[in-house]
Order: sequence, then structure tokens, then C-alpha cells
Amino acid sequence: MKRFLLDRIDRLRDHLASQRPLFTPQGNDGSAELNWLPLTRETPPTATGRPRLPTCPAKQFFFPEREILFRFDGNDFKETLPKPTPQILFGVRSCDLCAIAYQDRFFQQDPYYQARRRATLLVGIDCQIPCDGGFCPTVDAGPFVRDGMADLVCHQQQDEGWLLMAQSAEGEALLRGLDLKAAETSRIDQRTRAQQQVIARFPPATHIETGIQRINRAEVPAGQWQALGLQCLACSGCTSLCPTCSCFTSYDRPAADGFERERCWDSCLYDAFQREASGHNPSATAGQRVERFWFHKFSDEYAKTFGRYGCTGCGRCEKTCPGVIGVHSVMKSISAAP
Amino acid sequence: MDAATHNISRIINTICPFCGVGCGIGLRVEQEKITGVEPLVSHPVSQGKLCAKGWSTAYAVDPIDRITTPLIKENGTFRPASWDEAYRVITEAFSTTIAQQGADALGVIACARATNEDCYAAQKFARAALGTNNIDHCARICHSPSVAGLRQTLGSGAMTNSINDIEKADLIVVFGCDPTENHSVLGGRIIGAKMAGARLLVIDPRKTRLAQMADLHLQLQLGTNIALINGLLQIIFANGWEATEFLNSRCENEAALRARVAEYPPERVAAITGVPEEKLIAAARIYTEAERALLTYGMGITQYTTGTNNVISISNLALVAGQIGREGTGINPLRGQNNVQGACDMGALPNVFPGYQEVAEPASRARFATHWQRPLPERKGLTSLGMTKEALNGNLRCMLIMGEDPVVTDPDQHHVQRALEALDLLVVIELVMTETAAMADVILPAAAFSEKEGTFTNCERRVQRIAPAIPAPGEAKPDWQILGELAGRLGYHGMAWPNAEAIFNEIATLSPLYQGMSYPRLAKNHGLQWPCNEQAPNGTSLLHSKAFSRGKGRLIPVSHAGPAEMPDEAYPLFFTTTRLHFHYGCGSMTRKSPLLERETPNGVLFINPADAQALAIKPQTKVRISSRRGEVETRAVITDEVPPGTVAMPYHFKEAPSNRLTNTAQDPVTKMPELKACAVRVTNLEAECK
Ligand code: SF4
Ligand code: SF4
Repeated sequence: MKRFLLDRIDRLRDHLASQRPLFTPQGNDGSAELNWLPLTRETPPTATGRPRLPTCPAKQFFFPEREILFRFDGNDFKETLPKPTPQILFGVRSCDLCAIAYQDRFFQQDPYYQARRRATLLVGIDCQIPCDGGFCPTVDAGPFVRDGMADLVCHQQQDEGWLLMAQSAEGEALLRGLDLKAAETSRIDQRTRAQQQVIARFPPATHIETGIQRINRAEVPAGQWQALGLQCLACSGCTSLCPTCSCFTSYDRPAADGFERERCWDSCLYDAFQREASGHNPSATAGQRVERFWFHKFSDEYAKTFGRYGCTGCGRCEKTCPGVIGVHSVMKSISAAP
Repeated sequence: MDAATHNISRIINTICPFCGVGCGIGLRVEQEKITGVEPLVSHPVSQGKLCAKGWSTAYAVDPIDRITTPLIKENGTFRPASWDEAYRVITEAFSTTIAQQGADALGVIACARATNEDCYAAQKFARAALGTNNIDHCARICHSPSVAGLRQTLGSGAMTNSINDIEKADLIVVFGCDPTENHSVLGGRIIGAKMAGARLLVIDPRKTRLAQMADLHLQLQLGTNIALINGLLQIIFANGWEATEFLNSRCENEAALRARVAEYPPERVAAITGVPEEKLIAAARIYTEAERALLTYGMGITQYTTGTNNVISISNLALVAGQIGREGTGINPLRGQNNVQGACDMGALPNVFPGYQEVAEPASRARFATHWQRPLPERKGLTSLGMTKEALNGNLRCMLIMGEDPVVTDPDQHHVQRALEALDLLVVIELVMTETAAMADVILPAAAFSEKEGTFTNCERRVQRIAPAIPAPGEAKPDWQILGELAGRLGYHGMAWPNAEAIFNEIATLSPLYQGMSYPRLAKNHGLQWPCNEQAPNGTSLLHSKAFSRGKGRLIPVSHAGPAEMPDEAYPLFFTTTRLHFHYGCGSMTRKSPLLERETPNGVLFINPADAQALAIKPQTKVRISSRRGEVETRAVITDEVPPGTVAMPYHFKEAPSNRLTNTAQDPVTKMPELKACAVRVTNLEAECK
């Protein structure tokens, strides 16, 4: 794939935005938040320095929180497959790109997901400084964008300017008309070395490593999961913000004439997630549900199916959990177990 | 949410509409529909977290079943009507009633979910446009005893400290509530503080989540709060653990309190409450030993016939231990509905104007009369329960209810229904067809919180702005605008505000608590905590730091009195009502989420394993619960979270309305009904049919 030198990243952003609607993380209304929103004239320049993840990952673009699957008007079923206009997500970080790749597999057969996904071009950015609470290197999800995870990748170089890598034909095609110089091959080695330096700056994550071992060796006593389960308020925050969580349910709602079937995000931390009609529940306690959640994130069994762990180390669950059982809290607790 | 594209067009920062914690949420708007929620990481209270209710906000405001035009009932069914016709019907009935019987034959019920601007408009409408003090809202059924009790002892009924104080305390006392269920984000901060090393003392008949994490849990018998606190005070005085210096300099009436609590030695208190003496002593010790002890309480204190006295005894305890007036301490009532603090601040109460200025005071009446350019009624107003009683007596003939659902949430459902049926005219301003709205003669469609500007005041007195994310559906409009137009039709033109901000500015002029606030200032600061005025331009996070609002803190001796109805042979079990994390109030908003609805679809009865065994009840067994007032059927959930001899039921479900069972016996001061305790009998319906 082609490599170029780029002076200013926002020259690329503007060039792409002139061709397709472009979304990028920014504070809504000039607030201190960070959300995925369309690029406008008010959008500030792409931030460099210590990265911050947007509050929500990009999954809502492909797997929306609520989506009509079909309509029934009393006689006919009407298809509601999306016909999305092509769009660009600009500035996706490596952890979130790995999560998109993970969901691409999960939703391989899902026409709703695939329609949106295929209409979307991903522009990734390498993280040059560890973000607050992230641990992507421990779960092989960053800090630099992995090969094949984005259409275009931007890497800020230590001396100056950016290295721009086109990783798909479509990505490369969109660069047409942008004044760029080809980059020397040595730039690639420099990038590889730079990643080692960034990884070295991450705080130690032994609690994550030990926790993963304990989960896979089934060494965590049930009592400990029960104690953690007591802290689970079943808010659905972790599953809403986790970039790889993909569980959904569907229900029928009355529409203008007839009804429509809507699918919506579900959460495995809800009591009724697995409850059967008889009232029997294979995960009857909050402890069992918390255990299952973390098993899905860190089990080698799932890693076999998906080619990676279900956790990409973004740290969002820690920040949003009101019961203080996000990834760091849980892994600290179970890695400290006897 | 149409299928074409899913392009997020904007995110509007606003405040969660559910509970008094007041978390920050961003409403995600796609193609002019609210499709989801993003938590606000920069919000000072919620810091990027939300509870299940907050996360489900997009469902709660789903336009699917909204009322979009005025509706008039004709021969038992509703038909759409124009605003003009609806206003005419109302104006005629109201004017006729005033001419025949006087303005006190009318009553207004405001809403603790509505904005401050709406609540202010409602009380101004009652007082200035109609000429009656018959104005109330549902604080009556959650926290009126807090206002009544703490105003007597401290001079202010609000939370004394702030949510950020949770992390500053080294002991947290959770009394008669489970914030992890009902105020989850705040409850989560208590969990966080506990994990960071704070000690936790829980006083509750139920083995709540926090009780299971606590260093000490006093599992007292239902309705024995005063005996327990008097017992703690007796131990404190007997051991000399009281804060002598604080008592001498800042409190009054100590001798009377000492004399009363002397009647409560540990043996007697252990017998009344069922809490062993050692635990009483340990609790008294850690509360007085702690450098900073923060006490928080909820409806397990207020929803009793002794509600006001319960609050007074909580206040006695904090004053005697000197655990108030400093950071990380204080008395912190947890408000139920998102704006119950604001509804009280606005004077949506029969006895006070905005800012708790007494209606009975001629000076405050004169001040409001001048400002509002209307002579104002002096006669005492009715509470909401008073209004329903007078409706049955024929003395109250028209009512306007704003977004409340008393048919589901008030005690003794049958009483409320009969009362509303007896009215000449019932007007309901609502979003959706609630049980109460279904009984109305005229329904006026209101804008939801996501469709208008305004402010909510959270439980720590933080006044926060909300913002419209989408336009209101159909002809719906903000409550204040409806009330203003109706006032105009009734010949009062003092409510023709151009926008919500104009109302807020009027509030700031008339209420000393809000004086220093304005929309731009609120926006800049993530809200401001009252009092905010010249002395405290940036608001006040800590009340009573140098002196109490009333001067000296008053110790008031109170005595134990059991619940009005005790279990007996016919009704052998104690019955209490609870709330669930997943639902809110009458459930009209939260139950629209398919996920929350799925959690507990038809209501439940919580019963202790011992009682379940005695009745051969298994999980999910169908049961009937009967009291002297009515019966309901639901399914059993067996849990040791309720003690033996007590069953509990959440009150959110209209299919299983727990309030058919509860007692209307009232607190003599606030007329607060005793929702937390009555006697019932449980029948196993599956055993019966076999
Ligand atoms: S489990 Fe937590 S840290 Fe891992 S990807 Fe999900 S939200 Fe991020
Ligand atoms: S704790 Fe209260 S304010 Fe916060 S998200 Fe939940 S219901 Fe909303």
C-alpha cells in the first residue's frame, strides 16, 4: 500500500470532507465532552498530544442503539434495509478500530450492519501517548493502528509532519487531488520503533495479565464473583459503551398502521437477559452475570473464534461503572485473590 | 430512527429527567428523533456515569404514545379539540365554580417532574389567576416531612451538604433508603467511598445492597426509627460522647432532649427495635467518633405517620454528635423525583410562596401581591390529600393536575379514584394517557423535558438547565405556556411570559435563594447551588457552616409510636413499599423501555424465605395480598433482603398497584400518608386451585 508525507492532518480532513460527510470526535456545543459528530465549521482542529477517546465508541454508526428491522402493515411485510450514504469516520483510535474489526466478524451475516459498514471509510490515528485508563498493548489492540484495520492511517512523526498510509484501494482513491509526497521506506521502521517507545510509557498492567490467567484457569472463586456482583447495579453502562459488546434483543412496537419490529442494544447484566419463560435463569445471580461478562471479554475460547480477546483495552467500562467494577477494578480484585 | 441513514446530527447536553441526583446526559439526535444517550463526563455529579433509568431516556421520550392535541371527553370517550375549545370549557367551569363557591373550590396539583418554571407558573396560576392556596405536588408523598421537620430544627429542609462530600466523609450513615437502587449514581459514589476506605453504617429493616457491604447494619423492625435514635442518643449522653462544645455554642433545648431520651435505655430499645444492644452501642460510638460522618436518609424515614418526628430525631442525632455544618458531614435527605426540591423551592405547596416565604406572613403576601399585581388569598390551602377529601365532600369541584399520576402513586387508590370522579371538572396536563389522565374531562398535551428550556434543582440544591433536543410533537407545549394562556382567558395577564428564561428571571427577583442566578450563569457553571445571592455569588455547597438558617439548631424531644396499623391475626404480615432501580414513579416513562419492562414485567412481591416456606410459596408463585383496604395479585420473589414477617412491593406497576393496600393514616403535621407500613395477609393462589 502507498505511503505519503503529509504536513498538516487537517489538510487531509478537509480534503476528505469535501468528498463525503465526515464525522470526527469533538465537544458538542463547545463543551468539554467528546462525541462523534459531523464536521462543521465550528469543529476545532484535530487534537494532537495526549489522546482522549470519545465517550462512545464508533459502534453506533454500524450497529445503532435502536433500529427498525421491518414493518408489517396488516398485509405485507416491508423491508427496511438501510441505504446509507457513504461517510467517513475520521480519527478513530486503534482500540476502537480493533473493536470494529471484531464486530465486523460478529455481524458478518447481518445485512443491516454490513450495509452501513460498507458505506463507511475509516481513518485511523496512531496514539503517541497512552490515554488515561487505556491498556491496549496488553490486549494487542494498540497503541498504533494495526494493518488492515483502517482505510487510511495517520501517524504523527517525531521529527515533523505526518506519515499517511493508504491501506485500501478506496482509501487511496479518496486521496486523489491532495498534494502529497511519497514517503521513504525508512519511515516504516521509524514508526515501528516509535510504537515501542509509546508502549514503554504505559503503566504496568500486571493486574490485567494475571486476571486473564485466572479467568482462563477458572481460578476465581464463585464467592468473589458474588461479591463483585453485589456492586453491579445493572445499569447497562459497560455494555453500552464497550466497543465490542454486540448483544441485542428485538420487540414489536405499534406503528402508524400495523407494527414494526425494532432491535435494540441489550445488556447481559440484566437479570432477564437469559431468564426463560418458566422463570428459570441460567445466570440467576448478579455474580454469575458479572462473571459471564468478563469471561466473554477475556476467555481464550472466544479468542479462538474472533482472533482476539473481546476486550480492546479502551478503559471505558471503568469510567462509566457507577458500582466501581469496571475492568481495572475487577481485574485488580481477581488478580489479588488467593 | 428511519432506515435510510443513521447519521448522528447532534447531541444536546441536558439533565436526566428521573431522580433527584440530576446526572448529566447528552441526548443523541438522529434525523429529528432522540435515539440514544451519552453520559456527560464533565458533569460534576455524574462524572460520566448513569443508572439504568438514565440510559433508557430515549425510550422514555419516545413519541409513540404521546398526546398531541387537546382532548375533550364526550360520552365517556376522548375526542381531539382545538386549544380554543379546550380553554373555553375550562374557563367556563372554573369561572362558574368561583362565582358559586369561591376560588377555594378549585385546586391545582403541580409536578415534581416538571421544571422550576412550570412549577412556578402552577403556583402563580393557583394563587394569582384563581385566587386559592390549594396548590400542592407529590412531595407530600415523599419528602414533606423533611421540609417540615428540618425547618423546625435547622430552618431549612434541604440537603445540608453536597454530593461531592461523600468522598470527604470517613463514616457514611445510610438510614432507611437504598441509594444504589433509587439514586444509583449517588449510591455508586457511596460504594466508591467505601472501597476507598470510608466506613459504612446502614440502618434499615431490609438487607439492602449497601447493608450487605456495610461495616455495621442495624436491621430494625419496621416503624421503630424514633426508638432507635432515642436509644443511640441515650447511649451517647450516658457515655459523654456528645459534642459538648457544639451543643453549647450552636444548639438549644438540650435539657429537654436529655430528659426524654433517658427513657430509652438500651434494653428497652433493643426490645422495641429488635437490634441487639451491642450493635446500638457500636453505632453510637462510630457515629460520634468519626471525624466527619455524613448521614443520608430516604423514604424509610419519611413515609410514616411519624414522618416529621422521624426527621426531627435524625436531626437530633446529627446535632448532638456535632456531625453537621462541616464538609463531609450533614443531614442529606434523598429526594425521589428529579425536581421535587425545585417544586418545593418554587412554592408549589399550600403554605409557602417561592423561596419558602410564608403565605401566613402579611409582609410576604404583600410583596407577592405587589409584584404579581393581584390581591392574594390569605386562607390556608389544601394539600393534595386534603383536596381529594374535600372533593368527596363536595367542597372542591374542579382540579387541574399537571403531569402527576395520583391514581397510581397515591395511597389508597380507591379513595383517589372516587374523589376524581366526584369533581365537576378534572383537567390534566400530560404527555401520555396515564390512569389519572384517563379520568380527566379535558387533557392538555404537554411538551416533554427534551422539548423545552427550563431548570431542574437536584437534591444537593444545584439548579441546572435543560435544553430542547427536538420540537414538541403536534400541538404539545410547555406547561408554563398552557397555564399562562389559561390565566389570560381567566382575565389575569401577569403570566404572559415570552420564554422560560423570563420566568426564571422573575423567580430570581422574588426568591432570595435563587437571586444570584441567571440562565447564562447556570450554563457556565454546570448549575449553581442555592442559596446563590450577593453573599454567596457562586452558590453554596455547605449549609449551616457558621449558624443554622434559623439561628440555633433546635433539639426537639420526640417519642416512639408504632405504625398506625400493626399486624394481627387477620392480617399477620407487615407490608412495605419499595422502589426498583429500573423504574420510576408510576412507571409511565421507564416502562416504555423494552429492557426495563422485561426485568419485572408485572410487579412482584418480595417475601422472606421463612414466610414463603410457611405458605408453600416458591419463586414466581402467584399470590394475592390483601389488606383492610383492598387486594392485589402478583408473583412472589423469595429473598432474605426483607426480614421475616415483612413483605414488600414496588409501587410502579398499575397491574399490581401496591397502593390499593396501603394505609391513608397520615402524619399529623404534613399529612404525609403512611406508605411504608401496614398489615396484610398473603395467600398462595396456586395452592388454592390445587
Ligand atoms: S471491556 Fe471495558 S476496557 Fe475492554 S473494550 Fe470493553 S469497555 Fe473497553
Ligand atoms: S441516578 Fe438519577 S439522575 Fe442519575 S441517571 Fe439515574 S435516574 Fe438519572
